[in-house]
Amino acid sequence: MEGLCCGPGYASPSEAVKAPSEKLLYTIAIYTGTGIQKPDYLATVDVDPKSDSYSKVIHRLEMPGIGDELHHMGWNACSSCHDDNSMSRKYLIVPGVRSNNIYVVDTATNPKAPTLYKVIQGSEIKSKTNLSGPHTVHCLGSEIIISFLGDAKGEAPGGYLHLNKDFEILGRWENTMGDIPFSYDFWYQPRHNVMVSSEWAAPNTFMPGFDLEEVGHLKYGRRLHIWDFKKKKPIQTMYLGEDGLIPLEVKFLHNPNSSHGFCGAALSANVIHFWKSENGNWEWEKIIDIDNEPHSDWPIPIPGVMSALLVSMDDKYLYINNWLHGDMRQYNITDPHNPVLTGQVWMGGLLGKAPIVNGVKVAGGPQMYQLSLDGKRLYVTTSLFSTWDNQFYPEIRTKGGVMLMIDCDVENGGMKINKEFVINFGDEPNGPSRCHESRYPGGDCTSDIWL
Amino acid sequence: MKKITIANRNNTTYEVKGSRPLLLELRALGLDLPYGCQYGGCITCAAKLIKGKVDQKSQVALNNRQINDGYVILCVARAKSNCTFDIGVESHDKLYRNPFIDPLAPHELKSDIATVREIKDD
Repeated sequence: MEGLCCGPGYASPSEAVKAPSEKLLYTIAIYTGTGIQKPDYLATVDVDPKSDSYSKVIHRLEMPGIGDELHHMGWNACSSCHDDNSMSRKYLIVPGVRSNNIYVVDTATNPKAPTLYKVIQGSEIKSKTNLSGPHTVHCLGSEIIISFLGDAKGEAPGGYLHLNKDFEILGRWENTMGDIPFSYDFWYQPRHNVMVSSEWAAPNTFMPGFDLEEVGHLKYGRRLHIWDFKKKKPIQTMYLGEDGLIPLEVKFLHNPNSSHGFCGAALSANVIHFWKSENGNWEWEKIIDIDNEPHSDWPIPIPGVMSALLVSMDDKYLYINNWLHGDMRQYNITDPHNPVLTGQVWMGGLLGKAPIVNGVKVAGGPQMYQLSLDGKRLYVTTSLFSTWDNQFYPEIRTKGGVMLMIDCDVENGGMKINKEFVINFGDEPNGPSRCHESRYPGGDCTSDIWL
Repeated sequence: MKKITIANRNNTTYEVKGSRPLLLELRALGLDLPYGCQYGGCITCAAKLIKGKVDQKSQVALNNRQINDGYVILCVARAKSNCTFDIGVESHDKLYRNPFIDPLAPHELKSDIATVREIKDD
């Protein structure tokens, strides 16, 4: 599934769009916080429509112990080392948010049945770098950086772990965190020598669960940070205020020449668009504002909770979710200042618009998603984070998570839930688990960056 | 030695020294318990104390309402007397709440931001 050249990935986003369709997908599934005393695991999902086991979990790689809370993950290599024939996209790096362990999984020797290649112990990371609460994994050419949300005691702002290509700890990546109060997601765009990072909260704040009062006490983020990528230091802060409460996922357009990017502010349920102006400063604007929705059981209208965001490989569409409302949306972002809503589907959520989808009662709402390189198939899962799930969707404990697939119209816009595809993680052999982030062996829309 | 009784496991009892966190002492005696961060920050190991005393001053995960409801972070809490617990997610009925439907009063927040409750004369 790799491109024509020698290293991993593709020569350009337009080459990636033309790649063969995905046949396998890896998603993490958790038991942490569910009451089932089993390890979290990496599930291999068959997404080849010609296969007899299509739309099924065909392998489960259990982690060595319980309590990791696997969450996000990333590849050891992507298109950023496409011209390096010594590299290959072989290893998936899978951190445990709670345990601080990082698992390196070999997905290439047997793609259907990945194996554990190496464990970087959470205690080693704490002692060598004073970091805890790992989140986003990106490769930088042959090396790897991982954002951490806290220090070894779970206090903000955390920082960045730097690994070499053999997954040995080199230390902290950043030279300074400057005035940054919180960490979370990051994305970089090398041709502009820029990295943008966002803010969730300290592990000690978000791990036990969400309290609205802690937002008022400034325990949650509301800023984006612009970094000088080569100097490894923050150079500009964009204070988003009430428009940007809990700014989570950050994505640049895939076009490596573009400076336009987006961030989903989860609690404000807004999309923030940022870009480099002609004078070299970075600017931002709110381009999408999802209204809170009234609910008879709630004293105040329900916020969308826009917990993720994804840009199609051709940079034409932006996908967002509203985890508490229950909808996935597609916007045409040909003009990034003026997005146009082109598709919307419902699954689960608290508004009761689609409690049952493809015969499965959906506990939770659309939460994490991965788009095929050609932009036509969007795989969506429903669990956010064990403690937050337990607060907002307590029934997920017995029902488990769900993975659905949305057919996306890349020509005219539009979304439709595929009726043939559903995986009910409530039926897993060890009991109901919760699925979260997904990746494809051949690269995906949330990992590849071009130098 | 302190006697630890697990009420929701048929009142099974364990003898612990009280010198190490309960999670470590009880797991070493064969009790299967959930856990996550193992430093008192993440709530995964919370259990409900029905009777007895613990020292959990190094926990940073619980808000004051959860503490008042009897929750104990086993990965840092040490037994100071004989104790009776409910363990696991069956004990979490009051641990998780929808924060919009059931907000915290200022004195119920985590200790670093909670305000002291005013005591009014009736």
